[in-house]
Amino acid sequence: MKNRSDAVGSLFLFLLGLGAIIGAIRLKVGSPTEPQPGFFPFLGGLSLVIFSTVIFIKGWVEQGQEKVAFGEIGRPALLLVVMIALVAVLDSVGYVIGTFIASVLILRILNAKSWRTLLLTSFCLSIGTYILFDKLLGIDLPVGFLVRLGL
Amino acid sequence: MDFLVNLIQGFSVALSPWNLVFAAVGAIIGTAIGVLPGLGPPATVALLLPVTYKMDPASAIIMLAGIFYGAMYGGSTTSILLNIPGEAASVVTCLDGYKMARNGRAGPALGISAIGSFIAGTVSVFGMSLVAPSLASFALKFGPPEYFSLVLLGLMMAVYLSEESIIKGLAMAAFGLLLGTVGIDPVHGATRFAFGISRLLDGFDFVVVAMGLFGISEVLINLEAPEIRDIFKTSLKGLLPTRDDWRRCWASVVRGSFLGFFIGVLPGGGAIISSFISYAVEKRVSKHPEQFGKGAIEGVAGPESANNAASTSSFIPLLTLGIPGNATIAMIFVALMIHGIRPGPLLLQEYPNLFWGVIASMYIGNIMLLALNLPLIGMWVRLLKVPYHYLAVVVVIICVIGAYSVKSAVFDVGTMVAFGVMGYLMRKGGFPPAPLILAMILGPILERSLQQSLISSGGDPSIFIQKPISAALLCVAAFLILTPIIKRLWRRKNVNESA
Repeated sequence: MKNRSDAVGSLFLFLLGLGAIIGAIRLKVGSPTEPQPGFFPFLGGLSLVIFSTVIFIKGWVEQGQEKVAFGEIGRPALLLVVMIALVAVLDSVGYVIGTFIASVLILRILNAKSWRTLLLTSFCLSIGTYILFDKLLGIDLPVGFLVRLGL
Repeated sequence: MDFLVNLIQGFSVALSPWNLVFAAVGAIIGTAIGVLPGLGPPATVALLLPVTYKMDPASAIIMLAGIFYGAMYGGSTTSILLNIPGEAASVVTCLDGYKMARNGRAGPALGISAIGSFIAGTVSVFGMSLVAPSLASFALKFGPPEYFSLVLLGLMMAVYLSEESIIKGLAMAAFGLLLGTVGIDPVHGATRFAFGISRLLDGFDFVVVAMGLFGISEVLINLEAPEIRDIFKTSLKGLLPTRDDWRRCWASVVRGSFLGFFIGVLPGGGAIISSFISYAVEKRVSKHPEQFGKGAIEGVAGPESANNAASTSSFIPLLTLGIPGNATIAMIFVALMIHGIRPGPLLLQEYPNLFWGVIASMYIGNIMLLALNLPLIGMWVRLLKVPYHYLAVVVVIICVIGAYSVKSAVFDVGTMVAFGVMGYLMRKGGFPPAPLILAMILGPILERSLQQSLISSGGDPSIFIQKPISAALLCVAAFLILTPIIKRLWRRKNVNESA
């Protein structure tokens, strides 16, 4: 395979399209005169299967394609870990504490040098956005265990 | 005469104190994100959608529109001073703008881009006031077959204009159509692809998907590269172009304005393509094409005027036909839907205050942007010195708030992160995200019009070519997709013959 990213991408899309076709058949496709819930997903799945096959063949046939260059992969990966952890604890620890800890970690990962600036920035961000969005704009953000303290 | 009455009505909306504030806020945020590389207009509009939930619909759209055309003004600053385009539509400005800065003429380059943008924006808003009502009344005659073909054309344009390969764009559009089918089928009431997850019964929310695809993925991409911003130190005095500059580039501004307006009107057309075409036109008509790429002021004036005119006129397909032509306009489409307003030909009749208010606000916004850009250029340059990690953490936090605010559910935050990873991988593999989000939004309209057309024709698909408007639209769509393939085959044949 000359272009590995196209191969992986097209394979993923092919499987997705195939899954959509199977799902659409289970939902019942119907006919053009009497389209059923699976009619449109069937067409979408079929299109995806065709296009992904073409991408796969093109990737196979064409030469001189460069590999996908991932730069410094560590920083995006760590950011992702922090975000997944935030999603896991957001409801229980609440928005303010959750985003404060997440901001500290993210800024640390991104090489913010001074701890004082880092803590101050994170504090201002979590409190500031909470006041702006929850209190002023009326968007209910999770309070977490602080609700037991009547906050 | 109606036009003037309507416009006066629009100004009465746009000149209300709060709407003036929102137009200014939009213009400032737009300029800032245009200046800052690494955060584009679609991501910013998606990030700010939660802010608009409790706003009056007209105020919300006035602010979001300000962000869009403000970004076009701001984008030129980084192109000229850093050789880094703040947003994609300013890529071509780097070619001559940066060279002008290197030659000690950063001031006139920034000045002409701001003044050219102002003139083009104003021309485009005027054209929009004239064209939009006629187009909306024409579109009222559209039946389901015409709508199906129009939506399909809009999608094909988005695919055609996506930077990557057409086939990958088509695959992303098909993927987007499938994502749009998740949840309860609006016609039959059947649950599709929810896999027993109750949170998916309403389908994937556009805001959540857009924040992941455009916001989180952009942060992930930017974190890969080391943070180096070498701001070129030059004098920013003398921002106004000289008499000689004006003599050289006034025609470029005029050409860019009209070219941008017409390209922006096309569904799928937009600021990026118009700036490239304008540059090519300017080089072709210039008496000194050899100066292009070495600091020709026409190479800045034309594209900057064109991208601003196009960003304004790209509201026309949205407000009159209900077709979002690019990712940012798609987010504004979502904002309208959040407020219970269905964009399309009836918008002008049902919400004249919103329609004319938004148009009038664009006149005002352009004046505000001129006032913001020239005297405050020093401030925008200082903004570039803010380290990226602060911007990254703000984007992440606002994405979390935005995703959570949709249904007050952490599930949506998780979904956003998942789409962020998907967007990151898609960009790395050269799969464009814009056709996906457009297809996801347009999918339900496409499905409804397809089913209605087929039912009315007794299952005969030839209905799409029997109706003249529908047939014409389909021909254009087919032409767009087939042209690059035919060109490629033709080129290969020629290469083989010469070998």
